[in-house]
Amino acid sequence: MPFQSALSVVAPVRDGAAEELDRVLAQMGNGVANGEVIDFGSLSGLHFARIVVVPADTDHRGRPLPANIVYLADLDVSPEEHLAELVRTAGDGVDRVFGHCEGYPGGTPGERERLDWLRSRVAREPATYVNTRGRTQQQISQEAGLREAVSDFLDRRPDLRDRQPRAVRDAIRKFVGREPGLRWALEPADRPGLGARIREWAHLAWVGLLVLVALPFALLAAPVYVVLLRRHEKRDPAPHNRPDEALVLELAALEDHLPMNPFTAVGQVKPGPFRKLTINVILYLLNAVTRHLLKPGDLVGVKTIHFARWLFLNDRRQVLFASNYDGSLESYMDDFIDKISWGLNLVFTNGIGYPRTRWLIKDGCRDELAFKDYLRLHQVRTRVWYSAYGRLSAANVAANEQLRKGLHSDLRGDREQAWVQAL
Amino acid sequence: MTVDLERADIQGLFARGYSNLSLATFVLLRFEDGLSARSWLGEVLGGITTSEDRPERRAVNVALTASGLSRLGVDGETVSKFSSEFVSGMTAPHRRRILADEGTSAPERWDWGGPATPPVDGVLLLYATHRAELTALEEEQAALRRRHGVQDLHRLGTSDLDGFEPFGWRDGVSQPLVEGLGKSGPENLTVKAGEFLLGYPNEYGRLTDHPALGHNGSYLVFRQLAQDVRGFWRYLDGATRTADGAEDPGARLRLGAKFVGRWPSGAPLVLAPTADEPALAEENDFRYHRDDARGALCPVASHIRRANPRDSLDPDPGSDDSLELNRRHRLLRRGREYGSPLTTEEALHGEDDGEPRGLHFICLSGNIARQFEFVQQTWLNNPKFAGLYDDADPLVGPSEPFGGCFTSPGEGVRERYTGVPRFVTVKGGAYFFMPGLAALRSIAGEPGNSSSPEGS
Repeated sequence: MPFQSALSVVAPVRDGAAEELDRVLAQMGNGVANGEVIDFGSLSGLHFARIVVVPADTDHRGRPLPANIVYLADLDVSPEEHLAELVRTAGDGVDRVFGHCEGYPGGTPGERERLDWLRSRVAREPATYVNTRGRTQQQISQEAGLREAVSDFLDRRPDLRDRQPRAVRDAIRKFVGREPGLRWALEPADRPGLGARIREWAHLAWVGLLVLVALPFALLAAPVYVVLLRRHEKRDPAPHNRPDEALVLELAALEDHLPMNPFTAVGQVKPGPFRKLTINVILYLLNAVTRHLLKPGDLVGVKTIHFARWLFLNDRRQVLFASNYDGSLESYMDDFIDKISWGLNLVFTNGIGYPRTRWLIKDGCRDELAFKDYLRLHQVRTRVWYSAYGRLSAANVAANEQLRKGLHSDLRGDREQAWVQAL
Repeated sequence: MTVDLERADIQGLFARGYSNLSLATFVLLRFEDGLSARSWLGEVLGGITTSEDRPERRAVNVALTASGLSRLGVDGETVSKFSSEFVSGMTAPHRRRILADEGTSAPERWDWGGPATPPVDGVLLLYATHRAELTALEEEQAALRRRHGVQDLHRLGTSDLDGFEPFGWRDGVSQPLVEGLGKSGPENLTVKAGEFLLGYPNEYGRLTDHPALGHNGSYLVFRQLAQDVRGFWRYLDGATRTADGAEDPGARLRLGAKFVGRWPSGAPLVLAPTADEPALAEENDFRYHRDDARGALCPVASHIRRANPRDSLDPDPGSDDSLELNRRHRLLRRGREYGSPLTTEEALHGEDDGEPRGLHFICLSGNIARQFEFVQQTWLNNPKFAGLYDDADPLVGPSEPFGGCFTSPGEGVRERYTGVPRFVTVKGGAYFFMPGLAALRSIAGEPGNSSSPEGS
């Protein structure tokens, strides 16, 4: 089994097809996918998926930025396997959505044609974030079932309340062992194989080498960079525009149908080579950090994000950010501002219209209302969003994993007591 | 650093909850005709209690909805500069998911403020020391409205339950310390005035966006919350009966205290874990992470622990940073109870007298989304608060579609209560704005004041 993979399909919408496409998407969901057209729930190893239309726009020079359909999936299987399954089991649905794209094969395409076309539209993400790498959708769903069964068992056994932790754990293990549908929980979850792990180490070594090689040059260039940076930061316009009420209501109508939400936003990269270089380097490093250095479940203080990614659109003139997070947009934005404003500023400061930053990381989103309005103005309507475990918070998923671990690992003393107390 | 509040221009409800004026009536208003409403406002103005006053007999305050501002002739451009929540109102369609106004609490079923009843344009808040005084005040005010043709929509009476809410718990123990107001306290517990008042720096060190008309004003969130006192006690009773089916008053009270996070006297569970200690009733100096990180004394799911999590917020619970995050989500509560008191005994075994009981919840806010709505959605209603699984607030939260559990951690296996019903039903509500005096004069069109709210 490999680590989680991300799939992004980006395809320009045919002229005049946007309206019909909107109708199809509205049929597929109103914030949460309803299984119409494409039944995401039947696809294997799928954590999250969404289909959005990024509307057409013009860039700072007045050049068109065509509208795109963007299909995003967070997977345990490879993108290749996922696409093959998609065209095999939901070919009609694929036609109904992507049939509105330029260059999509006409008539009733065969599986092969669909697959080839989708493959040709796959985009590479400069950066992705996975809450806990190596934890599969199947594991998450199974462990949620385990939690429910154990909770019900404990409700039936109030006598266990006053027992020693060891006795409680033994009773639960016995119960789990007796249940044919739960017995798997006495074994550790599958981890990514040696091959996958070696590839991770190799990647880390490669990034480390790159950084080492680039470091002397970066240090030499730093003074010039700093001067340029401050000049850009002082000069870049940072207007505080407010979204109109209708837009806020339309976006909000799609939110809060589950205890978790999707967030999708698109911004234009500020003009000029300076910003282009900055955002490319930052996303590259960010990806290395999220992939190799972060503690599982914790994006530098934010513990509520399941999956996230950044993606370039239209020749890197636009950046799309997509995430799956627990709770409300208001709390999500507050988390950004209060906990990782510096990290957010690093990336978003390269977007047109973002609140003014200093030294890449200061200020910016700390201008609370300007930032919240900026996000609303750049948000993309996300009607079709699928979560394989929409009723579980990231904290729940992690707790369920610990519950299962406690069944098969050697716990004693305080750790065993803590395990019992967390049930 | 202290802030200089323009007290004479700020309505009195900001500075005090008028606890010495134990009776109150709230009159919901409709402005059919803008011109006459303005002349009414001009006349009410003189009697408005300010934050400089120390009223000893009576107090009068007034607040307006977005529709009220428009009907009074404030231009659309100015109204649109108020916050989005205020402009679109408490019953904007998506807001029912934020506030859990669904099912029996759906705005369609509200007695006022919902789509089934006429729009509310304003609220008049009247306070007095005793019944005769209040009646006189109400009559004077009613005469003013009659003279100017301002229509009453609804009169909301209150009752003096001596500082207790209808379930039987002391209410309003924990209020934020506000910079520039009343007693001072430690800096890390003092909240910037701009969190509750427009025109002053907030906790981000910024001025919250507002039109000039908003200066020295506050948003006023008003919710009529009916409390099912019988249902509450009967649930506690049923959940704590002994194995042979007998009542267990001690366990019943303990579960109620676990729901609330305090004993009925107000004593916090963190400090009085095993039994009520009335001596600790006013005690508010405790922390959750520091004193009870797991919630073994005061459950994480309990009402007060989620309405004000103090030092328990991520990413660094127990730190000053955690307290700082908490300061951005405080409410300045100014609510009043209604309905006659009901003892536990009456609630459990008495006939249903059909009398409505509950709370006219009122809070002042500088940013409704970050304060009131955030606390409702992210802390109270959220079944996932602080790592919980399916526990909404047991006291005021919803039970459907999520959140009907209550988990009480202990030294060993937790106790879990399932199927906790909803005890609090929303009967009405609206987002108001309580303007400063100069702004009210300008709205009323009084001479000598800039009637142009431009230039913010």
